[in-house]
Amino acid sequence: MTTTIEASAGVREAIVARGVARSFGSVRAVEDATLTVPAGSVTALIGPNGCGKTTLMLMLSGLLRPHHGDIAIAGHDPKTDAAAVRAAIGWMPDQLGSWDNMTCLQTLTLMGRAYRIPKEAARERGAQLLTRVHLEEFADRPSRVLSRGQKQRLSLARALVHDPQVLLLDEPANGLDPRSRVELRDLVRELAAEGRAVLISSHVLAELDEMVDDAVFMSKGRTLGDEAATMVAHARTRYRVDALDRDNLLEVLARFGIAAEPSGTGAILSIDGEEKAAEALAWMVNQGVRVYRFGPVGSALEQTYMAMNEERR
Amino acid sequence: MTDTPVVAPPQDSTVHPPARRGNPWHPTLRGVALMTSIELRRRRPSTKGYILYGILFAAVIGICILAAVLSTSDLSSTNLELVLIMVLGVGMLIAPSLSATSINGDSGEGVLAPLQMSHLTAGDIAFGKLIASWLVSVIALLALSPFLVYAFTKSGWHLDELAITLGAILFMVLAFTAVGLAWSSIAARAVASVSLAHLTTGFFAVGTLVLFAVAGTLVTDTKTVTEYYIDWGALSAEEEDALDEAYMSGDFSELDPADYQCIENEWTTGVTHTDRIAWLLLANPVVTIGETAPIVDPETWREDGRAQPGVFAQMHSMVSSARLGPQDDEIDYEPYNECEQLFGTTASDASDEELTPEEQEAQWEADQAEWDAYQQELANLPRAPWLGLAVQAVLLAGSMLIVVRRLRVPYKKLRSGTRVA
Repeated sequence: MTTTIEASAGVREAIVARGVARSFGSVRAVEDATLTVPAGSVTALIGPNGCGKTTLMLMLSGLLRPHHGDIAIAGHDPKTDAAAVRAAIGWMPDQLGSWDNMTCLQTLTLMGRAYRIPKEAARERGAQLLTRVHLEEFADRPSRVLSRGQKQRLSLARALVHDPQVLLLDEPANGLDPRSRVELRDLVRELAAEGRAVLISSHVLAELDEMVDDAVFMSKGRTLGDEAATMVAHARTRYRVDALDRDNLLEVLARFGIAAEPSGTGAILSIDGEEKAAEALAWMVNQGVRVYRFGPVGSALEQTYMAMNEERR
Repeated sequence: MTDTPVVAPPQDSTVHPPARRGNPWHPTLRGVALMTSIELRRRRPSTKGYILYGILFAAVIGICILAAVLSTSDLSSTNLELVLIMVLGVGMLIAPSLSATSINGDSGEGVLAPLQMSHLTAGDIAFGKLIASWLVSVIALLALSPFLVYAFTKSGWHLDELAITLGAILFMVLAFTAVGLAWSSIAARAVASVSLAHLTTGFFAVGTLVLFAVAGTLVTDTKTVTEYYIDWGALSAEEEDALDEAYMSGDFSELDPADYQCIENEWTTGVTHTDRIAWLLLANPVVTIGETAPIVDPETWREDGRAQPGVFAQMHSMVSSARLGPQDDEIDYEPYNECEQLFGTTASDASDEELTPEEQEAQWEADQAEWDAYQQELANLPRAPWLGLAVQAVLLAGSMLIVVRRLRVPYKKLRSGTRVA
């Protein structure tokens, strides 16, 4: 089993998990999780509070032993090569912790040295990472003066000190201001462009939409595979049309037998792709509909999340 | 807003951490050194802390100067010994307090897991934390060093003897630091681990003495002895007078045994074989430290250039007495037999009464000499710190084993009620 995973993982599939399960006493935190993240891509891990996202992340990071299932990180099996797995991973925990009376640069330098990077190189790398997360002016200030969002960014920099191939980001957008969220999004895309595999969990679904290549939904300890993927694909085809003359719009659509969900100010259509969307808009305008707003319906991930209709724990 | 698309990612300096295999746990020199320096930096005191420490240090020096001015010039080792006990006591209070929040505290703050993710092994983290906590305790104890220097100059101890005892104290502080660390790796909450660490210390400091007392009843041989004596209540006035008379004169030949009713009284007595449980005392840290102290002979201390026997010497004598156990005369206790003394057939029974004053004197002197010889034997019994030190070594090794096992990731199970980070 192990060998097949390692063989298939190769270089491309940086994170592979199959049938992973873990319980704490009688609580089954993760029952059956399966996911794959290729190198150079960003995958979102989405699910309600308490669905097992953090537990899954901990098992992937090599901090927690799964009771069942197989994991391969950058081709290493945590059962036999836990140290290699940890070394390949940059982990940003959901819990913010920092050494209060050390400066940001000291923190990153010492963390680098904990990865056996020579002192000078670790220091240089630390300074560059601080610039990259826009904390350079805090380099020589103790980390206790940082705000929550700034600590979050320091935590991200700390996950990057050893230039890991795999990034596990647990709720990285928590507590960030809007500008920092945009920067985080860009940074995550950059990191993926550098060939890293990124698994990111977040509640801010609208942010994720623009950031991720793929999404894994989790509910009650299980990853929802194809079913959720179909729902996301469907959600991506939904377009909202708002017209000044709503009744006219609905009448035109009905006349041509186009399936549409009426909404308060217009209708929601199912359109496959941007090309067709442009044609559809031109056609409606030609039919004399006074369209004042046209575009995809919000976040595909959010729609899927809401449509999953699962109970919160 | 600068919304330019990212042309090229910022140039990162390349770092090349060494590759890893397996899941090593053993401590490495570099890892332990780095972990120690991280811990020491984190515990670096604030300005207030330095000021407080300075005031404490100045106060200690002040007290020493005062004592030097007021004291007599006689040698006395008791001061030094009290300071040493104080150093041990303070060390055993501070060290576990520092280490007992080290692991569960870090875990609660979320700074432990990132270190476990790094190339530091469980052994690196465990021993780094041990050494850092211990060093902080040692630095705190340095505040007491003026007492030590002052008391030493008047103690009659030699420098190498002081070094050995101090070494033993610091080793014990190290062992109890490890105990604190072990509790902090087991208990989820700081309150629990700190109290458990202090309870462990308390068990060794006080509990061993209590156990010694309790165990004493288990090793006490009780035997029933029967005493015989004259029933004075049944005597007539003349018979009583005659007996009094006989006691005064020592001549019992005129008494008629038939007049004197002999009654017997049974009672149980016990001989405690402390030699079987003396190891409980030797496991006590204070006793262990006392046993590392130089031997002071109660007869020859002046010629030996020593101060008169102090606290440690007395403690050593008491412990030695427990180690030797009951003496022969305690074991072969002769029950009192008034009847036989009065009317017995054996001549020796009455011999005591017939001693001349000179013989009496000689007897007392012999008794005294025997007592002194026993005291000297107790004082000079070879010192026995090894059991105590071995117990501490086992405690140290066992604690570190627990800590390393608890720090290894991937976790098989978690402390109940905690999260990993």
